[in-house]
Amino acid sequence: MNCDDLKDVFELYALGLAEGAEKEEADAHLGRGCETCRKSLRDALALNAMVLSSVTEAAPPKRLKRRVMASIGVERRSWSWAAVLAAACMLVVALWLGMQERQRSAELAEARQTLMQVSADRDRMLAALSFLNQPETVQVGFGKGQPAPPRGNVFVNQRSGVLLIASNLPRLNPGRIFEMWVIPKGGAPRPAGTFQSNDSGAAFHILSGPVDLSTVGVIAVTVEPEAGSPAPTTTPIIAAAVSGS
Amino acid sequence: MVLLRYLPAAFAYGILQVLLRFKDDSELARRLKARDPRAMEDLYERYGRLAYALIFRVVRNAGAAEDLVQETFLRVWNRAQSFDQQRGALGPWVLTVARNRAIDYLRSIDGRMSAGSLELDRMEHPSLFSSSDESALSIDRARRLKSAFEKLSPNQRAVIELAYYEGLSQTEMAERMKQPLGTVKTWVRSALKTLRDELTEAVSV
Repeated sequence: MNCDDLKDVFELYALGLAEGAEKEEADAHLGRGCETCRKSLRDALALNAMVLSSVTEAAPPKRLKRRVMASIGVERRSWSWAAVLAAACMLVVALWLGMQERQRSAELAEARQTLMQVSADRDRMLAALSFLNQPETVQVGFGKGQPAPPRGNVFVNQRSGVLLIASNLPRLNPGRIFEMWVIPKGGAPRPAGTFQSNDSGAAFHILSGPVDLSTVGVIAVTVEPEAGSPAPTTTPIIAAAVSGS
Repeated sequence: MVLLRYLPAAFAYGILQVLLRFKDDSELARRLKARDPRAMEDLYERYGRLAYALIFRVVRNAGAAEDLVQETFLRVWNRAQSFDQQRGALGPWVLTVARNRAIDYLRSIDGRMSAGSLELDRMEHPSLFSSSDESALSIDRARRLKSAFEKLSPNQRAVIELAYYEGLSQTEMAERMKQPLGTVKTWVRSALKTLRDELTEAVSV
């Protein structure tokens, strides 16, 4: 078979469909470096490509381009608008959740503080009730009949100590506190603890521990610096003479 | 009927677009040889739709078509060094690789022609693809391609379809069509001759 006869064969050959003797002949010509046959093969491949190009184009999925690029080692993160929007929404939600969490933490800390305060007040209240319930407790009133002084009662129990219940206390300046004193007869005032009043000017304060009723002369309250004082630095606003002695 | 009136023009326009793309590939080929990843992106933009359409037509399976398109472009990327950027025809090369990958896939799942892979591989060498001269790239060529198909008889079109898009040998076509081998060979030869005669100026290099 000469080169011209093989021209027909090369179109099948180019499609990979040549068989038998024809294929062997084409292989032999190409193997000999026959330029005519090589051109026939190139023409056949070009013809085939033109026929193949008649296929109607179709849109491949968008991810396919990323796959193709990834196959040569080019990874490109593609952010669609939907992804950007979703990321922005997630960021806003995360910020909002963070703020909520912080607010909840603050509220929780405040609630815990309140609970501790209420719990402490309850304990003090129970202690005061127990104090009042004891028959040997001595009660001393103060402030009655005065224009606008603190009013209230002092309860002294030889075994348990001193309970002060006061109202109408003056509003304190910042950095100041009330301090109770136990003043023995003819002796120097002894510090008996500091306390604050509530918003309505009421307070109660307990000095726990045995008290020698026979020596106590006066239970007094002064306004002192916030850290308390070893001895009164101001004139007492409460002075209750203990008469049980 | 109105559609049929405009169909030839639409067909010709589509072919022209392909031809025009085939025309201006030398710069792209140079960048591919230089291993410029953006050239790969441009190559895909230029031929991705056509390669996908061709492969999908052969394998009729979207997932497999995606795999085969990826394989096609990776092959072109890996073999671009052997491409002649002055005379090489990038588009026909990509299409041939795409068609061969698809046919090879069909054969592998059918379990036929195990030696065919090597044959197809040989037909993909970049040195075998040369540009047509520019005069061939005209609307006239597009019209000729359409007219060439119109001149084929139904049996000729059937064998062309089986050869190009199913990769059947003439013996396999004869079995599929339940026709004598000699008859099938006649249809194939005459069909290819008709196509060649109509397009010969366009593809002669």
